[in-house]
Amino acid sequence: MPMPSDRASRPPRRRAASVKRRVAPVRVEAAVHPVVVLAAVAAGAGLLTWFAAGRSKPLGLAAGGRSYSSRGHDVTASAAQRLNHASTMLAASVLFDSGLEHYRGQFFNRAMYTPIVVSSVTLAASLHGAGDTDTGSSRVRHAVQALAGLTGLIGFGFHAYNVGKREGGYSFQNLFYSAPIGAPMALTLAGVLGVVAERVRDADPDEPHLAGLSAGRSLAVATAGMLVGTTLEAGLLHFRGAFQNPAMFVPVTLPPLAAALLVRAATKPEGASQATAKWGMWAVSAMGVGGVAFHAYGVARMMGGWANWRQNLIDGPPLPAPPSFSGVALGGLAALELIERSRIRF
Amino acid sequence: MRSRLDLYPGYDVLAKRDGPSWNAKTREVLEKRLAIGPETRRFFDEVEWSTMTALAERIVPQPADRADPVPVAALVDHKLATDTRDGYRNAELPGEREAWRLGLRALDSEARARFGARFHELGAWAQDELLKLAEKGDLDSAVWEGMPSKLFFHQRILADVVKAYYAHPTAWNEIGWGGPASPRGYVRMDFDRRDPWEAAEAKPGREDEAYQENLRVGR
Amino acid sequence: MRIPGLGNAADNPKHVTPGDDPEHHPRARDGRAPNVMRIGEWVPMRQHRDEEEVDFAIVGTGAGGGTLACRLAEGGLSVVAFDAGPYFRPLEDFASDESHQSKLYWTDERIVDGENPLQMGSNNSGKAVGGSTVHYAMVALRFRPEWFKTRTLMGYGADWPLDWREMWRYYDQVEDDLKISGPVNYPWGPYRRRYHRRAHEINAAAKVLARGAEAMGIGWTPTPLATVSAPHGDAPPCVYRGFCTLGCSTNAKQSVLVSYLPRALKAGAEIRDLAMVGRIETRNGRATGVHYFREGKWRFQRAKNVVVAGYAIETPRLLLNSANQEFPDGLANSSGLVGRNLMVQGNQAVWGVFDEEIRSYKGPPSLAISEHWNYDDKGHGPFAKDFFGGYSYMSQGPLPQLWANTQASAHGLWGEALVAEMQRYNHVAGLKVVSEYMPQERNRVTLADVKDQYGLPVARITYSWCDNDKALNRHALKFLREALSAAGGREVWDQGDDTCHLNGTARMGADPRTSVVDADCRSWDIPNLYVCDGSVFPTVGGVNPSLTIQAVALRTADRILARRR
Repeated sequence: MPMPSDRASRPPRRRAASVKRRVAPVRVEAAVHPVVVLAAVAAGAGLLTWFAAGRSKPLGLAAGGRSYSSRGHDVTASAAQRLNHASTMLAASVLFDSGLEHYRGQFFNRAMYTPIVVSSVTLAASLHGAGDTDTGSSRVRHAVQALAGLTGLIGFGFHAYNVGKREGGYSFQNLFYSAPIGAPMALTLAGVLGVVAERVRDADPDEPHLAGLSAGRSLAVATAGMLVGTTLEAGLLHFRGAFQNPAMFVPVTLPPLAAALLVRAATKPEGASQATAKWGMWAVSAMGVGGVAFHAYGVARMMGGWANWRQNLIDGPPLPAPPSFSGVALGGLAALELIERSRIRF
Repeated sequence: MRSRLDLYPGYDVLAKRDGPSWNAKTREVLEKRLAIGPETRRFFDEVEWSTMTALAERIVPQPADRADPVPVAALVDHKLATDTRDGYRNAELPGEREAWRLGLRALDSEARARFGARFHELGAWAQDELLKLAEKGDLDSAVWEGMPSKLFFHQRILADVVKAYYAHPTAWNEIGWGGPASPRGYVRMDFDRRDPWEAAEAKPGREDEAYQENLRVGR
Repeated sequence: MRIPGLGNAADNPKHVTPGDDPEHHPRARDGRAPNVMRIGEWVPMRQHRDEEEVDFAIVGTGAGGGTLACRLAEGGLSVVAFDAGPYFRPLEDFASDESHQSKLYWTDERIVDGENPLQMGSNNSGKAVGGSTVHYAMVALRFRPEWFKTRTLMGYGADWPLDWREMWRYYDQVEDDLKISGPVNYPWGPYRRRYHRRAHEINAAAKVLARGAEAMGIGWTPTPLATVSAPHGDAPPCVYRGFCTLGCSTNAKQSVLVSYLPRALKAGAEIRDLAMVGRIETRNGRATGVHYFREGKWRFQRAKNVVVAGYAIETPRLLLNSANQEFPDGLANSSGLVGRNLMVQGNQAVWGVFDEEIRSYKGPPSLAISEHWNYDDKGHGPFAKDFFGGYSYMSQGPLPQLWANTQASAHGLWGEALVAEMQRYNHVAGLKVVSEYMPQERNRVTLADVKDQYGLPVARITYSWCDNDKALNRHALKFLREALSAAGGREVWDQGDDTCHLNGTARMGADPRTSVVDADCRSWDIPNLYVCDGSVFPTVGGVNPSLTIQAVALRTADRILARRR
């Protein structure tokens, strides 16, 4: 009995019958893989978010009633866009990384679909914001980003619980191989940067404040903390890889240095040049992108290389992970921009 | 007693043959093994062969409706014809080839002595009775020429026949083993996890789901 | 420039099998040897003529011989290492098939007897360049320090003439050379350096061990394994294909074949594959070389020193087969101990069925371990120790043939009962010990009347348990049964008669009357004859011996080189 899995090109051989061949009723095999369905759902949610964000955006100055100089708007809007670049990068990283890792985990728990959908809508909101040159926040974008921040925290809780309940508890074995504790925080970072982007749009461009603090300075310190957190995650996983390639030391040395530059930038007197810190941020951004290439090389070094991609993409170094560094670094750039330009008046 | 089930419906480990789970050497080795047909005989003579085939059917019985049964006797014959050895023998047993010739002939004459017919002519019950006697070492007439039937049963019959059967892809399908795995190995190793290229087990009431999954292992 | 790990080191599924036949035609010849990390490629090899008196002729290229050959060659000595087996390139020669891969085993005839006749072949004997390490389970454990002085400190067995602190340094070195992948902190024994690769992810079978150990209140850990969890040179990380004991076709396994031997070749050693050494020649109380069979004829290689490293059956067999007028009882045998004190280790198991799918065929077989009973000398309650020695136990991952054979031979199933039980393959997990058996002089290797294909008398291997061994077996099986049940195993049954590893037939010691070789593995009787493999173990301990064999080999190399300076 010919089976649907038979391929005509296979050389002739003896057929091995299984125990008892199920007499197959005429059936059309599900042509769509569940993963495709998931991807469609995620994409659809993202599109809807995009449209929703477009409709609810306040109509420029008229809605607000406050009026700032046009140059001032440029500063906040530009910083907000930059922050949305950051959250875009992070959301994309989370989307692909959680997709890959949760596919590996066979979506064993239904909650594992959540980050994929949430990061999709976050990605859409962030992209939308990234292209939005106007001041004034969007309620939908704001809400979506807040949701992302919350989802990341809940995911963190889930992962922490998952690690703890394994045989061996909070051991290195489980920190390495069960749900990665730090990973969901990347979604929180995306959400936080996205929320900040909306807030900055609403802030006084001459003296932008967040929660009563100077927006640029507080954001700089916050992104420095995010960089350190992301470094810890990369450090743990690169320790798992025994730092077998010297390049694996880069993401555990460069970002903390850049974070230090950010903190220093936050304490610098007004008007001082932030060139060093900016270079640091650009270096970390580049590292995040270059990391993808290194990880691709890592996949090639696995047994079977790219020909065995179904195994090596999920067992090898994760391709989507390094850009989360770039995302945070872009947030840092936005902070520097706010610090540098907030006091410049015309 | 448990009975055999269609536990991995639709699973065919050979569907993975051209994918990344099989390297060239594996394909070559399995091709040679699958070329051994039920009548491929180089070592046993005709008398031994009829006993051997009947014996194999008792040790690893196969479903009557199996279209293409595992040629167990031929696989044992192949092992002996190529003189593939275990690397040791009990001091009370002769070499592997002599042991098999002697043992099969002895089984045949025990069958004649006790049931008046040759071993392969007996019904399953009588064959099993004889094998159980051998298992306990209670067959000890002169035809064994001093070879303990117990050792012959355990170290030759069981070892060689069972290994022959479970060297065949059909047997692998039956137990849901992943089969050859190189260069591609496995990713998901936790409880109740399977990679998409592994056999899916039919859970009660969800046999069709498993069937669908099993059609996909070769993708 | 070639970037590590790219090119054909990563197996291309479309490639073809090699045209040559390494099992019948030697590959290491014409000034080259196989490049084991690449398909169809070669590395240059220095060669010696038979008449040339080389510094060292080494018989065997496994954990002992291969490691020693590497270090001696790196020390600047001229070395020829012989192996009776083929020189494989794992990437192209290894199939994912249990039957076919029996080509790695020593399947020449051997005769077993005694009260508890051993199983040989697949279980414990390799016949390939790289020796048994080509198909070992890669478990890389250190001895407990006290085991080097069991007679003095624990009242049984015999003392090693070695100091554990010195051994600790050599363990460090082997672990570095093999890039052992182990836990961040190993829970037992004194401080050791961190492993060079992190432990592998554990599979469900290993989690069964973990659950059981946690329920029994004892420690467990991911097993330190000689297969890399992150790339190392041309070796890709383990892909968890599960065929470890049938030869690693990815080179993730750091067998001697892919670790020390490439280094040996680079340093100028010569390796002769398909070269069976049949006799060691002596004159005036010194070894002068070895007679070996290769390419259809017997030849003689002159050597200033000879090292026997054929593992605990072939080593005494060669020493006994080399008996001559000078040494009528066999070489190095003035103590009469060559071939005696053969030690295997207990390899009993318990098996059970689980509701969950286990699929233990994925990943290396022994991903988790408990060494609790190696370090707890008393025990308490129902598990009070009434015997000397200890045991470790590990998770298991038998492939179908082995599992079916276990069901038939140890569980007594055949017929419908067997084929039906085999269908629960994916739901089975087991725990298996490696336990310490006592050295007994009656357990020994002698020569049988039967001759092998080279015309050499085959080994007769006589083995029986003593009361201590049986008491240990009882304790281990009882504990394992409880542990497996506590982990959720049902229908738990014992596999009570299995052994593994070979040691002790040319023991080392401090006294020529009670040992065959000294602390430097040099024979007491013949000053230029060494034994360097598991044979020199005075006691076996409750862990897999390969790491200790290799550490001893590294030490032996250092001692030989030091003496020459």
